[in-house]
Amino acid sequence: MSEQEKKFLEICDLKKSFGTGEAKQDVLRGMNFSVSKGEFCVLLGPSGSGKSTLLNIIGGIDTPDSGYVSINGDKLKDMDEKALTMYRRKHLGYVFQMYNLIPNLNVKENIEVGAYLSDNPLNVDEVIATLGLEDHKYKYPNQLSGGQQQRVSIGRAVVKNPDILMCDEPTGALDYKTSKEILGLIENCNQKFGNTVIMVTHNEAIKYMADHVIKLRDGVVRHNDINDKKIPASELEW
Amino acid sequence: MKNPLIKRIPKELLGDWQKYLVIVIFMVLMIGFVSGMSVGRNSMLEAINTGKVTLKLEDGSFEFKNKASEELIEAIEQGNMADVREYLISKGYEEADGEVAKAAEEELSRQVREGIESAVRAQCELSGITDEDMIRSQINSFMEENYESSLEEARNSDEYREALDDAYREAHEEVVNAVDEKWDETVEEYNLNDPDFIPVQVTVYEHFFRNEDEDFDKDGVRDAAVRVFSSADEVDQASFNEGRAPENENEIAIDRMHASNVGVKIGDTIFVGGREFMVVGLLSYVNYTSLHENNNDLMFDAFGFNVAMVTPESFNQFRTRIHYSYAYFYEEKPEDKVAQAECADNLLKALITQSVVFENDLDDFLPECYRQASNFAPSDVEGDTAGTEILCYILIAVIAFIFAITISNTIEKEASVIGTMRASGYTKGELIAHYLATPVVVTLIGAAIGNVLGYTWFMDSAVNIYYETYSLPACDVVWSPLALVKTTVIPLLLMFLINLIVIVRKLQLSPLKFLRHDLRKSKRTKARRIPGWSFMNRFRLRILFQNIPNYVILIFGIVFVEVMLCFAFGLPDSLTHYGDHAPDMLFAKYQYVLMGTKDDDGNELVTSNEDAERFNSTSLLYEKNVTSFVKGRGSGGSTEAVTVYGIEDGSKYVEINTGLNDGEVYISSAFRDKFGFKTGDKITLSEEFANRSYEFTVTGFVDYEGGIAVFMPNESFIRVFDRKEGSFTGYFSNAEITDIDEKYFATVIDKDDIVKVTTQLMHSMGGFMVAAQYILVILAAALIFLLTKIIIERNEHSISMVKILGFKNSEISSLYMIPTAFIVILFTLIGFVAGYFILIYVFRAFMLQMDGWFTFYMSIKSMIMSVIFMIAGYAAVSVFDFIRIRKIPMDEALKNFE
Repeated sequence: MSEQEKKFLEICDLKKSFGTGEAKQDVLRGMNFSVSKGEFCVLLGPSGSGKSTLLNIIGGIDTPDSGYVSINGDKLKDMDEKALTMYRRKHLGYVFQMYNLIPNLNVKENIEVGAYLSDNPLNVDEVIATLGLEDHKYKYPNQLSGGQQQRVSIGRAVVKNPDILMCDEPTGALDYKTSKEILGLIENCNQKFGNTVIMVTHNEAIKYMADHVIKLRDGVVRHNDINDKKIPASELEW
Repeated sequence: MKNPLIKRIPKELLGDWQKYLVIVIFMVLMIGFVSGMSVGRNSMLEAINTGKVTLKLEDGSFEFKNKASEELIEAIEQGNMADVREYLISKGYEEADGEVAKAAEEELSRQVREGIESAVRAQCELSGITDEDMIRSQINSFMEENYESSLEEARNSDEYREALDDAYREAHEEVVNAVDEKWDETVEEYNLNDPDFIPVQVTVYEHFFRNEDEDFDKDGVRDAAVRVFSSADEVDQASFNEGRAPENENEIAIDRMHASNVGVKIGDTIFVGGREFMVVGLLSYVNYTSLHENNNDLMFDAFGFNVAMVTPESFNQFRTRIHYSYAYFYEEKPEDKVAQAECADNLLKALITQSVVFENDLDDFLPECYRQASNFAPSDVEGDTAGTEILCYILIAVIAFIFAITISNTIEKEASVIGTMRASGYTKGELIAHYLATPVVVTLIGAAIGNVLGYTWFMDSAVNIYYETYSLPACDVVWSPLALVKTTVIPLLLMFLINLIVIVRKLQLSPLKFLRHDLRKSKRTKARRIPGWSFMNRFRLRILFQNIPNYVILIFGIVFVEVMLCFAFGLPDSLTHYGDHAPDMLFAKYQYVLMGTKDDDGNELVTSNEDAERFNSTSLLYEKNVTSFVKGRGSGGSTEAVTVYGIEDGSKYVEINTGLNDGEVYISSAFRDKFGFKTGDKITLSEEFANRSYEFTVTGFVDYEGGIAVFMPNESFIRVFDRKEGSFTGYFSNAEITDIDEKYFATVIDKDDIVKVTTQLMHSMGGFMVAAQYILVILAAALIFLLTKIIIERNEHSISMVKILGFKNSEISSLYMIPTAFIVILFTLIGFVAGYFILIYVFRAFMLQMDGWFTFYMSIKSMIMSVIFMIAGYAAVSVFDFIRIRKIPMDEALKNFE
């Protein structure tokens, strides 16, 4: 792995605060780390640790007060809004806690919404098969369970074949069994399609399936560990 | 790859088909109507304009009291002003020479007689004859023998010739002095010293007509006035919509509009001028596309007035006087209206001066561009679409705002989806295009269907409306690119721009804000304070505040529709009211205006009718001086025709103070109301064909709504207008005058003349107004339906939640429907008051552009109906709203937001 691939995602002295005066709250207080290409990275931390803010800044939908994020050598702070949109379009896939599917498009069409954005999308049907949604591909979101909807949302993000798959508490609204299935799918995509995965979670157990675990607290990185003994998602317990 | 979001659009349309169906129907009707009106209008205007050339529409016309001599016509065709001074002098010479010759002859005769008598007396004295009888006998005998020779001798004497020459010279000098003394006045009167005068050469054609009585139901009673022309006329010809031109003296062709209105068909017989004719053709004269009997008529009258064509032989058999009307054509057509006015002005000078020189009276002069009968219909046809287009665009804008509100709500509802898509890399432009697509597609569908219907069904309807109103030639469909722009491009642009602005504003926020559902640009830190009412009322008030944009559109729509309802109810009311009061508007049941005061034998025209009372009248012009915001149709000029009456002392028809000084007048209440005159105001009136004006002081008012009129004592009238003592113009009478031959009547004004404007307007617009009342209610109901649907849909989650909490359907309905009901009722009332006063103002502004006076009136019943119609529309919609609220399931509140 080249040096650039090792520093595929680089976070450098990232600071971010909200509010002013006495109400000012420092959410990120000088954060530094890097993520290698193809890595499954988990950002772990309790509520208010700044993990979602960090994810949003990496995703280019929020901006830091200082410091920078660079992806494959390109610094996001040098990009204007248009360039940031193109950056997200070409390089990122997003999965949120809430699935945010388009209600009057069926499963296949919702996945096509992601495919449309990519110059080299994956085969939509293949993604549907990978996600185990063949029997549901013509159903509308309101005809699916929460887990199935989250699969569709992962499909929409993965089908772009993004460089980075950003997952913000993807299992936050799901039960144990479904959560493990979803984590297994993300793992599967990471291995099958080679996307770098950045997953924000407060669930400690998930760190065991990651290549790289970054623990955050009070806006700083408390631990930055490479996991040599990662286990498959299916074996996770919590 | 095609944008998969496109697939949402048909799903969106089908998913909410009731809403979009209402909108599409709305648009189809509006666009179809405008397209039909526009295409119908263009086709009709094309037919009218083609007809102007092929049927040889005059450039203007003038009328002389007597038939013009060939020399007069030649002089007019040259366009030169006559040498009025030369004429006046030579006429004066002629008269003076006659008088001098007569006086000289008498004097010579006297002197010869005296000479003979004194010579005979001297001879008798020498002869010693003293008997007077003998002398007288001698004188008579000598006179008989020598008078003629002596007279002849005296005539040939140098002395006499010198004396005669001196007398002529003196008389001629007196004539010249007299002409010159009055010359400045004459120059001013006829504007003879106009340095800008340029002769306008014209070709003149005879276009004589007669005004006859028509009795189409053959009951022996006059039903209408008919202007009869000869089929041999070379100009101002007619096109035949049905049938043919008359070929023998018992055949007649009449105006198709009049025939249709009074139910006369080809093959029917009618009485014209007391003679029976068979109708063989229904025609449309190119110079009578609207049946204006007189050019200053407020409205045409296709019931009480008709134009007809008979053969030349038949024309000559009528008894009424011939109107010696001549049509003229410019040798060089003036290019624009300014040039037309200048040409007309110059030609008028030539006409006035030539008529003086050729001793004929100019009775009328009317350039074609000022002619109501040929310009009213085209200008109305032209003006109609402007009005409907504006209405259409206002309604499209309302629909565009409804869309904008719907889309705003959808964007709010789909905030997290939008946030996700933006986070995934969808550009703002792609999302804007996506949300714009539905309104644009709906508009396109509406425009496409609307245009198809516009070119077919609506166009036929529009053309029929014109045919129902005017005497227009047949027309073919004319493809109009401009109509397409107006009915497709402009609505699309309106829809596009209004929604674009709203969507762009709405999508300005960052993806993160969308993901967080944080869609407010400015954060409200405190909740809006509301009064300490009961919980339910505070809840309603919150609903009101929450839906302010919807209510703003609703309020605009309600006020707009209510104003239109006021018009739809008020116009027929105003017409009926005017018609009902018409009999009260006449001073006398009949007002006879005579051609002159003497009959063919030189005897004064008198009547034994005891009701008859003489009056004097003249027509002057009042400079309106109004700033126009409504460009008038019809005469639309800057002057108002005013009839000035001279009233006899102790008149039983018009009550004025007879002790008025010269220059003090009473005016009709219509004149007062139209221009807002008060007692003591000065009014300047001027003559139409001479540069002379009069100033009067308003001293009182005559309660007369039927016309713009000025009244003064007859004696004042005679002095002010320099009339001969004892002259009069006509008779007022409550009983019909039967002992004066009708050929001496110039016009007879009765109740029908006053109500013809309202009769015609009722016929043209009455049905349309009733239809408009119902269409407007449907429009209002559709608007309320769409907006309340949005309000309820937006609150589905809350409604579901309050259902779970245990609120009954009736309570929930009262929560969501009472605010709307309150708004609808409140703004219906406000809209009504606004509409009422707006229409009073608009009517006034409109009437200021027209001749005559006519005020906006709404009966109490119509006032109540206009409000009830709107509320009934809302009541119908509220039933749907109630059903809609009842159908919202309780699990709606438990669903995840997607």
